[in-house]
Amino acid sequence: MAQQSATIGEIPRGGHGVATRAAASGWIVPFAAVVLIMALWPLLVQQPYVINIGTNCCFFAIGAASLHLIIRTGHVSLGHAAFLGIGGYTTVLLFVKAGWPYPLALFAGVAAAGGAALAIGPIILRLTGKYFVLVTFLLGELIRMVFVEWVSLTGGAQGITQIPPPHPLLSSQLAYYYLALTVSALVLAFIIRLLNSEVGRAMDAMRQAPSLTECAGVPVVRFKVMIFAIACALVGLQGGLQAPFLRTIEPLTYGPLESLNMVVMNVIGGMTSIVGPLLGTVFLVVLPELLRDYVLMQRIFYGICLIIVMAFLPGGIVELWSRLGRLLLRREGR
Amino acid sequence: MLEALKFQLEMMTNPIMLGQVVVNGLTLGGIYVLIALGFTLLFGIMRVVNFAHGEFAMLGGFALYYLYGQFKLPWLIAVPIGAAIVAFGSLILELAVFRWFYQKMFQSMIGTLGLNMALIYGGVLVWDAFERQIPPAFTGVLSLGTVIVPLDKLVVAAMAVMVLAGFYIIMKHTRYGLAMRAAAQDLEIAESQGVNAILMYKVAFFIAIFMAALAGGLYGQIYSLSPTMGERPLLVAFIVVILGGMGSIPGAALGGIILGFIESFLGTFFGALASAFVSFGIVISLLIFRPWGLMGTPE
Amino acid sequence: MAALLEVHGLSRHFGGLKAVDDLSFSVAEGEILGIIGPNGAGKTTAVNLVSGVIEPTSGEVTFAGQAITGLAPHILVAKGLARTFQATTVWTGCTVRENALRGAFRHLYPGFWATFLDTNRAREMRAKANAVVDELLASLSLTDVAEQIADSLPYGYQKTLGMVIALAAAPRLVMLDEPAAGLSAEEADHVRDTILRVRERGISVVVIDHNMRFIKGLCDRVLVIHQGRQLAVGAPADVLADPKVIEAYLGTADAAAHR
Repeated sequence: MAQQSATIGEIPRGGHGVATRAAASGWIVPFAAVVLIMALWPLLVQQPYVINIGTNCCFFAIGAASLHLIIRTGHVSLGHAAFLGIGGYTTVLLFVKAGWPYPLALFAGVAAAGGAALAIGPIILRLTGKYFVLVTFLLGELIRMVFVEWVSLTGGAQGITQIPPPHPLLSSQLAYYYLALTVSALVLAFIIRLLNSEVGRAMDAMRQAPSLTECAGVPVVRFKVMIFAIACALVGLQGGLQAPFLRTIEPLTYGPLESLNMVVMNVIGGMTSIVGPLLGTVFLVVLPELLRDYVLMQRIFYGICLIIVMAFLPGGIVELWSRLGRLLLRREGR
Repeated sequence: MLEALKFQLEMMTNPIMLGQVVVNGLTLGGIYVLIALGFTLLFGIMRVVNFAHGEFAMLGGFALYYLYGQFKLPWLIAVPIGAAIVAFGSLILELAVFRWFYQKMFQSMIGTLGLNMALIYGGVLVWDAFERQIPPAFTGVLSLGTVIVPLDKLVVAAMAVMVLAGFYIIMKHTRYGLAMRAAAQDLEIAESQGVNAILMYKVAFFIAIFMAALAGGLYGQIYSLSPTMGERPLLVAFIVVILGGMGSIPGAALGGIILGFIESFLGTFFGALASAFVSFGIVISLLIFRPWGLMGTPE
Repeated sequence: MAALLEVHGLSRHFGGLKAVDDLSFSVAEGEILGIIGPNGAGKTTAVNLVSGVIEPTSGEVTFAGQAITGLAPHILVAKGLARTFQATTVWTGCTVRENALRGAFRHLYPGFWATFLDTNRAREMRAKANAVVDELLASLSLTDVAEQIADSLPYGYQKTLGMVIALAAAPRLVMLDEPAAGLSAEEADHVRDTILRVRERGISVVVIDHNMRFIKGLCDRVLVIHQGRQLAVGAPADVLADPKVIEAYLGTADAAAHR
């Protein structure tokens, strides 16, 4: 019987397959191993340029993984970068212009992003698939327009430049890298644990069959709002942390292209498992660096890649992986 | 403060200003309806949400720029021919890109977003990012009593109306139109009645792109032309289609006119920004309280 | 004695279409009420209205003395009113046990942080939910297939699992939407026995179906809906011999099945 969720159309509904149903604590060891590798490699490769790529990877992993949470409940947001911007602008404005201590400013940025999500969540999360995509796209545009037009507050299209590091210790690339790594590791551990818990199972259930889930006693909309608020608060954290690293923020930093990037990280990696957005993040942060001097070609290539992936491999890299796995298993079976 | 309000009110009731607003409204409305109808056609029949729709408008703009601006073909010929060239050329894209996304809404969204990017930056590669102007169709004005109508706006509105009339005739009075309307209602039933889906998709695609490209030419003429100009028409398509109801053809027509007039009125008296905020506000509210728009059907 | 479920003047209009029009009925404690009608009569809409999936245009619903009109489904489940679905009966890709545990969500979810940190309370609740599910699976003969993927099982099993999911929340009344649809006569008999067993546990049942024979052999009372309105209500034999009812079914395949 067709079981497609009404809220997410043809997105692979997985998340229950054997391959992705890891034991509740089976993720800890591989995760720790990855974190260890991530902590050690900069000591070997000491080029600041490469370390910065790593820092960006860690930051964008937060955003992509947070969007993954929303996707797992069955909604794709094309406006996630707006919350990135709320976090970024709030933190920077309080830190740079109002002279707040950085940790407090960062907290305010996270709270602002999460608060905004709590405010509009109950309204927009009742919408189904395509309407949710469109409304988040439009909201993203609206918020970006606010960033551009409220010149007195945000500096308009020029943005805010020369943002100082949060602390003198963080002026070095390496120090910022370890900050990014620590925070992203904590956030990811939180997200993975969440997805493996009963909450995660409820999320998968409501994505697949919202009415059935609601009638099984799960307060679906309340859950979705909670997850949406958590996800937006987390991406707000990325925004606030990443801003001093970027030195300059402007409305375009948080525009539709950035929202699309985060969606693409999830789509290309695979939307059914947390591994997907992590793979997608690496793909999308590292690859442009290879075509660094050819920004135009890079973007055209990016667009074409999107078309090809959506046409032939909608399940992303994770799907490719499992297809390869099945192919190999079949071969071995002979 | 009161003075400013009085002045604003005086301006708004001034017949000359109102005349301008109405003409602008018709012109914009006509262009918006063209864009929205194409977008709705693609969604209603093929379930494709074409995030690259604005780029076809952009291509239409450049087609007009070359045919009319550079090669000096007569305007009345350049406009439809330019649109036709873009539409024929885009059939390649139909084969290469769109074909994979028919009846797959989510994949079409991300896939066309990719196409959108490729087209924008491809355009920048070919044409550079700066703005160009298309020379106006006609100069001079038409005086109708107290109302002064710039001829080039009038001609744009007239062209839009003609194309829309043509579209109406095709949809209501030809076999293809009937097939498309049937498919928009229920694809399976239509196919079981002998409608050739593949051919019909191509026809629908052609018509949709033709109208977008035509609208783009007119739009580029009124405003300015650049590879990044497609973003505005795309937003318009969204707003109108949501306003009128996704998949509803009469809804797209109604929505386009309404949006055209709202923007003309607000834009003239309150500025472009207010106009943008209000249109967005209306759409977001609609999506929340009545997502099927004015003429769509609730799911 | 007041009925467990009371419905008064329930209506749902979609523009000009009156899917359900001024429907009133009641379900007594321990009763099995059948709701029958030709396809498109508004049976499923009625269930959707009572179970909170859709909001009524007008009318009131009272459950165990409390007004529940327009409340969300998950709240109704907490109050003891559960239902099954006709089409989407189970979650695919999960085992039978996992499916059943979802239904026991109320027993299983101690709150966000308790779940996240897997506190003792969370573990206790999980154990309790598993016990509830074990008992239900045994009672409805699904223990053997408890670890199999739900959508790989025959359709009859999936329908029964749908009932388990609804029962896992320990409801006082359960509404079954077309529990025998698409099943063979033998499977339908099995479903009928299951429903009788459910009633024996003290749970009231509302069965919606369009198959007269199935309803006749199972229900204490039958309500006939036609074009969103009540056509007849009473004991099965009386209702099904009612000329109005037979006329409503004339021209539909159900009339042929009844003969």
